[in-house]
Amino acid sequence: MNEQLVGGVLDDGLPSLIAAAHELKSPLALVRQLSLMMESGNVSDIERQRMLRQISLTSERALRLTGDLTRSARLDDALFELEPINPQELCKDIVHELRPLFAAHGSDIRLAPRTHPLLLVANRDLLRRIIINFTDNALHYGGENGIVEIQMGALQSGQVIRVGVRDYGPALSSDMWRSLKAKLMQAPQSVHARPQSSGLGLYIASQFAEAMHGTIGVTRHRNGATFYVDVSASNQLSLL
Amino acid sequence: MKKQQSVLIVEDDEWLAEQQSRVLTKAGYITTISPHAMAAIDAVDDVQPDVIVLDMLLTGSTAFGLMHELQSYGDTGSIPIVLCTNLAADISMDDVRPYGVMRILDKTTMVPGDVVTAVRSVL
Repeated sequence: MNEQLVGGVLDDGLPSLIAAAHELKSPLALVRQLSLMMESGNVSDIERQRMLRQISLTSERALRLTGDLTRSARLDDALFELEPINPQELCKDIVHELRPLFAAHGSDIRLAPRTHPLLLVANRDLLRRIIINFTDNALHYGGENGIVEIQMGALQSGQVIRVGVRDYGPALSSDMWRSLKAKLMQAPQSVHARPQSSGLGLYIASQFAEAMHGTIGVTRHRNGATFYVDVSASNQLSLL
Repeated sequence: MKKQQSVLIVEDDEWLAEQQSRVLTKAGYITTISPHAMAAIDAVDDVQPDVIVLDMLLTGSTAFGLMHELQSYGDTGSIPIVLCTNLAADISMDDVRPYGVMRILDKTTMVPGDVVTAVRSVL
């Protein structure tokens, strides 16, 4: 494991301070800019309302990251209860929770309809954090089309359930694709070593998936990408 | 009547781009926002900006890729660039000057009016 991620400079087992600081800089810088702008008084009431909304939504996004970091750092200490979960219901809740954020960006998030129910085995909190992580990513990189869709389906003769977040952003170049695949496999590195992104969010998602005996991955499309998590299907559905 | 000058903002954070646009518009500039390098290349052709305010970490392509592309052509290579980045402390002006960068702004410490001051100083 990358020494910058665990047992770094402080040897405290926490995720890399560099990667975390880098990821938090953008939302904090935005909140600061908007606050200073409002403080200057040179904004209309309508602008002020919009900026306040952006501040609260950006703060929530940053807080989600800090929550994920805390949870990630304590993965080894905790036993995560795995339970049968209906992913359609979980994702409905996520869509409901994130729709205001997407609306504020002029985007939309939707859940692909399914006729047959699915049941998987996972930790509700970790699965939720993974999917929200992917949707945050899709919102940021999803392009101008503005639609993000959560999809799910059964694989391997129904033994595995895949929950994916599809965006319709610009096509990924081959270089970006290789870099992205590497980020799914590796711990985040210093911003000096990899200038585009620390990949911290993806790494945290992969840790959460691993804690549930699952995996994450990404599929490239001509117009965007799907980030997905694969976890075991629950046998309980076959007993119903 | 003096022609309004045009600023292309290349920034993948939609709300930060909006904020920069807000400040520059209030200062009398016409602004165009591009969220990534490919859109920025199209926008440079379309609006022929007087200045480019460029985020260092762009979705899909780093700012260096875009600056290199702009430097490849005589007309676009002369457009002054203001780098606006979270990584200002790690960037040497000497390294980026050959790409047309004339100012570096640190997103984490700048105040809203700094982008106007920077743009004004390179025109």
